[in-house]
Amino acid sequence: MNKALMTYLVWPVAKFLIAFIIVQVIVAAMNWIERRLLGLMQARLGPNRVGPKGLLQIIADPIKFILKEDIVPSSAEKVAYYLGPMLPLLPAFVVFCLIPYGPPPTFTVTRVNVGLLLILALTSTAVYGIILGGWASNNKYSLMGGLRSAAQMVSYEVPFGLSIVGVLMITGSLDLVTIVRYQEINAWNFLPQIVACFIFLVSMNAENNRTPFDLPEAESELVAGYHTEYSAMKFAFFMLGEYSMMIVNSSLIVTLFFGGWTLGMFGFGLTTEVLKGMGLLGGLIGATIFFVKVMLFLLMYVWFRATFPRFRFDQLMDLGWKFMIPLALANIFVTGIFILLGQERLMYWIGIVTIALAAFYLFKPKRAAAQKVVHAS
Amino acid sequence: MLVEYPKPRWSDKFLLLDLLEGLKTTLRELFKPKVTVRYPEERMEPADRFRGMFKFSYDRCIACKLCAVACPIDIIYIDVHDEMIEEGGKKKKIKVLDRYDIDVKRCMFCALCEEACPTKPKSIWLTTKTYELASYDRNDLYFNMQQLEYWDDRPKYTGLPDDGERPQIDETRLLKG
Repeated sequence: MNKALMTYLVWPVAKFLIAFIIVQVIVAAMNWIERRLLGLMQARLGPNRVGPKGLLQIIADPIKFILKEDIVPSSAEKVAYYLGPMLPLLPAFVVFCLIPYGPPPTFTVTRVNVGLLLILALTSTAVYGIILGGWASNNKYSLMGGLRSAAQMVSYEVPFGLSIVGVLMITGSLDLVTIVRYQEINAWNFLPQIVACFIFLVSMNAENNRTPFDLPEAESELVAGYHTEYSAMKFAFFMLGEYSMMIVNSSLIVTLFFGGWTLGMFGFGLTTEVLKGMGLLGGLIGATIFFVKVMLFLLMYVWFRATFPRFRFDQLMDLGWKFMIPLALANIFVTGIFILLGQERLMYWIGIVTIALAAFYLFKPKRAAAQKVVHAS
Repeated sequence: MLVEYPKPRWSDKFLLLDLLEGLKTTLRELFKPKVTVRYPEERMEPADRFRGMFKFSYDRCIACKLCAVACPIDIIYIDVHDEMIEEGGKKKKIKVLDRYDIDVKRCMFCALCEEACPTKPKSIWLTTKTYELASYDRNDLYFNMQQLEYWDDRPKYTGLPDDGERPQIDETRLLKG
């Protein structure tokens, strides 16, 4: 067979398909994991009826989605209504081509030197599907959900992008592979860029419309938000898109701040060189490390959902524009000063001290009774 | 009463300790044992004074109808006839129960009939700890004298109505009594 064909078509497609299948399995499993974990955290059991420990729920849900009647409202704008659930899926799928999920070149589908920009551009198009779906349903609650989603995603796209700038400044590259290689030689980026990491974590929750930022689908206010009128597979497509985007964003935070497929800092531990030395096995280990890290962040989404109450919409906007964006800008400024002074190592200590302080205050023995009763006269 | 909370300290605000405390709480909940009882497989034992299904004793009953009088919604139906029997050369008139029915589907389990019963021990009582009284037919919930006395234990959950046999009281066992 033609060698060029193998290099440029067959291998990339095969690699993409493998990654794609793994991601789809994670999406299907996340449905059960999320419901079960949410239940356990809320002092109940969660779905446990289908199969052992409720594991067959993973299969039962898709079957239900496929067999359900697909209702299209008669007053819906047909083209946009059908397009709505498909649009958020496309960018989520395409982005998996750009994320390196193992040591290159075997475990990267493509290596684009502006990969990060491309990913940002693609992921921000996911909001179109939600707006279109909400508008085309011809339902005021759906429309409001779509509009809220649009406002929220536009607002949080800014701190999302700005938080990445700090990482770009210290790594000096938009190429995701280079960013990971930088992190294994120096420290993982969440240490020097702890503020950026925090902003990224918050805005990726907001980007995905997850609690505490799930105002577009706030069931107590908007029935179900933008997907009120959707049923059966179309609804499943919305869910698929949302969970795929969650995996995309988790992959991004792992790649940018938590060392991608490596498990080492300062050149020690399981770095790319070590993994490459082990051949294919090393590659598989790297990919496993990557997906385990991604799973941890997916569990973090569920953890946040179980813990935090929903924001009010104006509070959400305040947080985005008045807090996150100035903080992200300040982070860029401070990072710039440190780089200018050539004191990049000093930034690690900021991260380490912050984490140590938080851990100290969190785990130190209980404070004295936290409230004082004042009798009203 | 006003509750005054201490002002948030700088460290609390800067390190987001409130949020972290919340996360800690949910994480702790995750590993706590759950109190959920998985009903068809696991059952809870009711308290001793729980008012469950009726139990009736024909031998103890003196057919005084006090329970029927006490019943606030009149769902106890009693028919009695007199019989003369010879006991030690003397003729004696006794009441014999013909009918003792309870329309359990309308019952609210107030146990006033049990309170009114003058016999000792009571000839109608509700402390049987049986609460699985659901039925697929409301006519199944009208109990006559034999059914009230010999149901022993309500049949356990056997499955959905389409699965085959419906949970039913064993008629042959009732007739023997």
